[in-house]
Amino acid sequence: MITLLHDYQASRARLFKEYKEVQREKSADPDIQLVCDDSNIFKWTALIKGPSETPYEGGVFQLAFSIPEQYPLLPPQVRFLTKIFHPNVHFKTGEICLDILKNAWSPAWTLQSVCRAIIALMAHPEPDSPLNCDSGNLLRSGDIRGYYSMARMYTRLAAMPKKG
Amino acid sequence: MADDEDFPSSSDVEEPEDADCYLSDQYDDNAENVLQYLEDGRQEDCNWSVSSVITRESLLAAQKEDLRKIMELLALSEQHARTLLIHYRWDVERIFELLDQKGKDKLFSEAGVTNLENKINHSLSSFNPFTCSICFEDVSCSVITEMECGHCYCNECWTEHFIVKINDGQSRRIRCMAPKCNAICDEAIVRSLVSARDPDIAERFERVLLESYIEDNDKVKWCPSVPHCGNAIRVMGDIYCEVECTCGMQFCFRCLSEAHSPCSCLMWELWVKKCQDESETVNWITVNTKPCPKCHKPVEKNGGCNLVACICGQAFCWLCGGATGRDHTWSTITGHSCGRFKEDRVKRIESARRELDRYMHYHNRYKAHTDSLKQESNLKETILGKIAISENKDSRIKDYSWVMNGLNRLFRSRRVLSYSYPFAFYMFGDELFKDEMTPQETDLKQNLFEDQQQQLESNVEKLSMLLESDFQEFSDEEVMENMKHVINLSSVIDRLCKQMYLCIENELLYPLQRATHNIAPYKSKGPERASEHSSRFTKATNEDIDVQHGSAVNASGSPSPAKRLSQFQPSSSSDGKHGCSSTKRAKNEGSLDTPLFDLNMPAEVVDKSWT
Ligand SMILES: [Zn+2]
Ligand SMILES: [Zn+2]
Ligand SMILES: [Zn+2]
Ligand SMILES: [Zn+2]
Ligand SMILES: [Zn+2]
Ligand SMILES: [Zn+2]
Ligand SMILES: [Zn+2]
Repeated sequence: MITLLHDYQASRARLFKEYKEVQREKSADPDIQLVCDDSNIFKWTALIKGPSETPYEGGVFQLAFSIPEQYPLLPPQVRFLTKIFHPNVHFKTGEICLDILKNAWSPAWTLQSVCRAIIALMAHPEPDSPLNCDSGNLLRSGDIRGYYSMARMYTRLAAMPKKG
Repeated sequence: MADDEDFPSSSDVEEPEDADCYLSDQYDDNAENVLQYLEDGRQEDCNWSVSSVITRESLLAAQKEDLRKIMELLALSEQHARTLLIHYRWDVERIFELLDQKGKDKLFSEAGVTNLENKINHSLSSFNPFTCSICFEDVSCSVITEMECGHCYCNECWTEHFIVKINDGQSRRIRCMAPKCNAICDEAIVRSLVSARDPDIAERFERVLLESYIEDNDKVKWCPSVPHCGNAIRVMGDIYCEVECTCGMQFCFRCLSEAHSPCSCLMWELWVKKCQDESETVNWITVNTKPCPKCHKPVEKNGGCNLVACICGQAFCWLCGGATGRDHTWSTITGHSCGRFKEDRVKRIESARRELDRYMHYHNRYKAHTDSLKQESNLKETILGKIAISENKDSRIKDYSWVMNGLNRLFRSRRVLSYSYPFAFYMFGDELFKDEMTPQETDLKQNLFEDQQQQLESNVEKLSMLLESDFQEFSDEEVMENMKHVINLSSVIDRLCKQMYLCIENELLYPLQRATHNIAPYKSKGPERASEHSSRFTKATNEDIDVQHGSAVNASGSPSPAKRLSQFQPSSSSDGKHGCSSTKRAKNEGSLDTPLFDLNMPAEVVDKSWT
């Protein structure tokens, strides 16, 4: 019980520090906008910009963070709230397949660096460990154009502000 | 099974120089075979995979041996040696191989061992004050710890990290906290930081490290006894073998079930499953009986006709179970047209029936021998009584060890016989090798095998009868006669068993292309009895094998260690020429048998020089 309480305090302190850091560096990384839930420091959301020269360019994607009490020793759970067609993102749930969110997690990572890793993943999909089999198969079979046009269509549909 | 622990002198037919005079006329032509057998028996010893028992107490000493080999060869600290060994599953030979192939740096980095030669040294005080990049707190340099990989965090964060990993069952491989750093954390640091926070968790960490020697080691396994005797068994050399723990448990080292050779592990697994779910019996009932549509009693079908009649007088169609009239032709029943009066249906029933008959054939014989074995175990008490009477008789015959030797031979060959039936069931059935052999080949091989099996069987039954005789009431001449027969039969049976294993290896399994079935080799003296683990700290490595053999023999009270030791030629102990090891197995020619370095130094001295 004492250990748990300690963890809880430690993760809270760490998250608070991350929060302050985010406030301070707000303009530092224009592609990432991290927001903490007003009433719960263990719930965060982020808006990330689709990287340029990818089918996600011009789109804004929302991520939801759910942070365990043993953070940062255990990784946060992250998923896309915005629909995205990507081989490493589950099309229905938005769940992300990314090694640093699993085995390769390091407590030195922050929510900010997780966002950066997700942006990198959008630019460099890994078709060999897919969660979205359709897009994974397209990419693996070398159908870049097929993948690109599907991803582009969903970016337009879901991640771009409706015009008019 | 056979427990000769109490009968030190009964290890088998003995005293080669006396062997000739035991031969009766009837068996004269076997004289040479007996001698040959005695010869083989001795050679076989050299080929045994050496096994030893590791108790909770000797676990630490057992792993120290492997640790020390690695520490000395690679000039590593104990904890680095452990990290390396855990990563490579305690396979010292493999590490030596990989050292040649990959080189030290790659070998180390893949296992998460920091090569200290490449480390840059800097003083921690240069960090003062230090901002921990995990908790983002500024802390004094007195409460931070730098891991060997150079990554530095506050003790508070390290401790939390270790505890999370230990609780998650990752004690053996706790990685550094830095992103993408593969280094395994220094166990001394884990130990000291965690025990300061929670001694219970630190103790768990310690135990897991200790048991890694068993859990992560292909050559060491827990004894499967229930309730558990607390021992583990280590084999050196071939893992396809059968061993006996000091608690008496005999088992297949590979699959941990009862010793089952000449069945392969897969055959035995399938057989046990088949015997357990009585699907065959259930099958038989559904194939052979149907409930009467009127009185609902099960009715058995007789002959080929599909119109059956219940004893209540009701006739019904066997195929659909519907009630019918009594008139019928070969293909139709009057007033009944279920449309299932078909050939294929009949064929299916017939083939199910054939399958069942086949299973019953093998199962009955398997069971008959297992049952006999149980009954013959009771024979031991009776025979001991008879021996006691005989020894007190006024007679010039005083040595009755041949009776117990014969009985032990009976036990072992009975065991071989009973397991030879499930072996044959799969060897010549459709389940495993259908695509590997033509029906003609199968027939040929089956005849060959059954020939040997029958010879063995008839000799085993003869021996069983001889041993049941009331020799305590015999005259000296009759006893001598009986003794000759028992000794001769024993040697013949041993030879037949050996032949059967050779036939399985060379004639039956070897020609197969795809299937790999490893059979534990035949041991004339039954599953190898594991010796108590003997620490080798004061012995040179090239003597190790011999020393272990010596202690095994010593423990069972057989001929003196000194006498046995002289029989071992280290050069011939690993050439795999003798005995009948099984097919298609990567022969691991142990580099361990040759001395790699001088181990004459006591462990304590060596340990200290590295810590
Ligand atoms: Zn590190
Ligand atoms: Zn810290
Ligand atoms: Zn045991
Ligand atoms: Zn087995
Ligand atoms: Zn009836
Ligand atoms: Zn009929
Ligand atoms: Zn019918």
